[in-house]
Amino acid sequence: MQPSEHILTTFDQALHELRETTLTMAVGAQRNLQNTINGLLQRDKQLCNQAIADDEDEDQLEILIDNLGMQIIVRFQPVATDLRMVIGAMKTSTNLERISDQAVSIAKRSRKILKNEEIPEVGRIEGLYQVAAALLADAITAYADSNTELALSVIEQQKELKKTHKKTSRFFSRKLETETAHYRDYLDLVLICRWLDRVGGLATNIAEDIVFEITSTDIRHGGELPRELTEDGSNSNGTPQI
Amino acid sequence: MHDTSNALSALPKATKKKKSSTVIEVDDIGFSYDYGKTETLKGISMEVPKNQVTALIGPSGCGKSTLLRCLNRMNDLIDTAKITRGTIRILGQDIHAADVDAIELRKQVGMVFQKYNPFPKSIYDNVAYGLRIQGVKKKSVLDEAVERSLKSAALWDEAKDRLKDSALGLSGGQQQRLCIARTIAVRPKVILMDEPCSALDPIATAKVEGLMLELKKDFTIVIVTHSMQQASRISDQTAFFYLGELIEYASTSKIFTSPSVQQTEDYISGRFG
Repeated sequence: MQPSEHILTTFDQALHELRETTLTMAVGAQRNLQNTINGLLQRDKQLCNQAIADDEDEDQLEILIDNLGMQIIVRFQPVATDLRMVIGAMKTSTNLERISDQAVSIAKRSRKILKNEEIPEVGRIEGLYQVAAALLADAITAYADSNTELALSVIEQQKELKKTHKKTSRFFSRKLETETAHYRDYLDLVLICRWLDRVGGLATNIAEDIVFEITSTDIRHGGELPRELTEDGSNSNGTPQI
Repeated sequence: MHDTSNALSALPKATKKKKSSTVIEVDDIGFSYDYGKTETLKGISMEVPKNQVTALIGPSGCGKSTLLRCLNRMNDLIDTAKITRGTIRILGQDIHAADVDAIELRKQVGMVFQKYNPFPKSIYDNVAYGLRIQGVKKKSVLDEAVERSLKSAALWDEAKDRLKDSALGLSGGQQQRLCIARTIAVRPKVILMDEPCSALDPIATAKVEGLMLELKKDFTIVIVTHSMQQASRISDQTAFFYLGELIEYASTSKIFTSPSVQQTEDYISGRFG
């Protein structure tokens, strides 16, 4: 249910600005990750440089969101849903900043890889990236739409990401052992796999915070799902059945 | 005048049936200011736990102050007012029972008002007033009670050297704490507070709030407040009223982080029209 407007319209405006800024930051983090992977796959150093440079914007947005959140706390003393929304935005911005940092790490390793002769297996990264990017996109959509079910599906999708990460990482690890001429590149690719997995983990953090923001139920670290979202209403922990 | 010999003095004995943590039981109480034509309180039921601060919140006219005044029968002073249904039990005793005298009840259920109202007497005489009314004359007993009450009200250090000075010379915050000292001097079981800080500056408010947190170790406190921040700072339980009905009653933490009823959320977050 969409909450009605506050009597104090400036409160609504401040909350709206906080949410819009968080979404802007989310789109930026998503774009940085996309640029960095495209840079690696298309052997385009410029795209990697772009991702590294744009990370500065994400850092500034994180500071801005913290500042906006604190201003709202000081000026309007939010409670209940409003308080969870402010805290949620501030926590989401921290996760987004870290996602952008992962993109920077990937971009720096990609530039090293691009200096060397192309290795055909690098394309295997794309499958892992697609799964991680889908998680991030769903987490952002869930945030924008305040969609609990989509947020819970992100948590479920992380299992698929783990599987793909394990498979891809194992492939590059084996190559690292056998293809000694390119061992540095394969080592970098193993690290890139790990960072993409980390992106999924951070997207999952965002999803968990969305569930808390909407339902006031903390599902982190094995917390129970909202009763109304479990299939049998048993409020048991485990995979959400929606 | 009722015979009070077995009324409030018997209150502690009457607690057997109820768990000891409940001090006030309000059961389906209805109240009217116009001989019962319209109900200002519409079937309120709630239990107030011992040694906790319970906040009553809600927009003006919702009935929170009316309920507060029902708890020590202050509304008896209004000719047209009447309880239309239900019961209020304090420590197990029905406060409207025939053998309960309102004056005796108010010794057990003290009240602090929105506008501090010390008597135009000395600080000492203000605090000793209730005990003198009860017939206490021995100076050493009064001295001990005045010191204990002023210390409990965090006013002793500021007032000990001017006990004979007029209470009206104290600052607003000090006058309100003096009123609290006057209330606790007769050792009530419950203290009712009707917006006790609304006329005080932030420093005086903080002192009174700090005092409430200390006093709840010895007393059960029910407070009416319009300040959401004050309710969230000092109360353990919060009850939200609207148009004479109790909409939600839960722990303060629950009310201010995840209220169950949309009306509560709308009110506490400033969405209420």
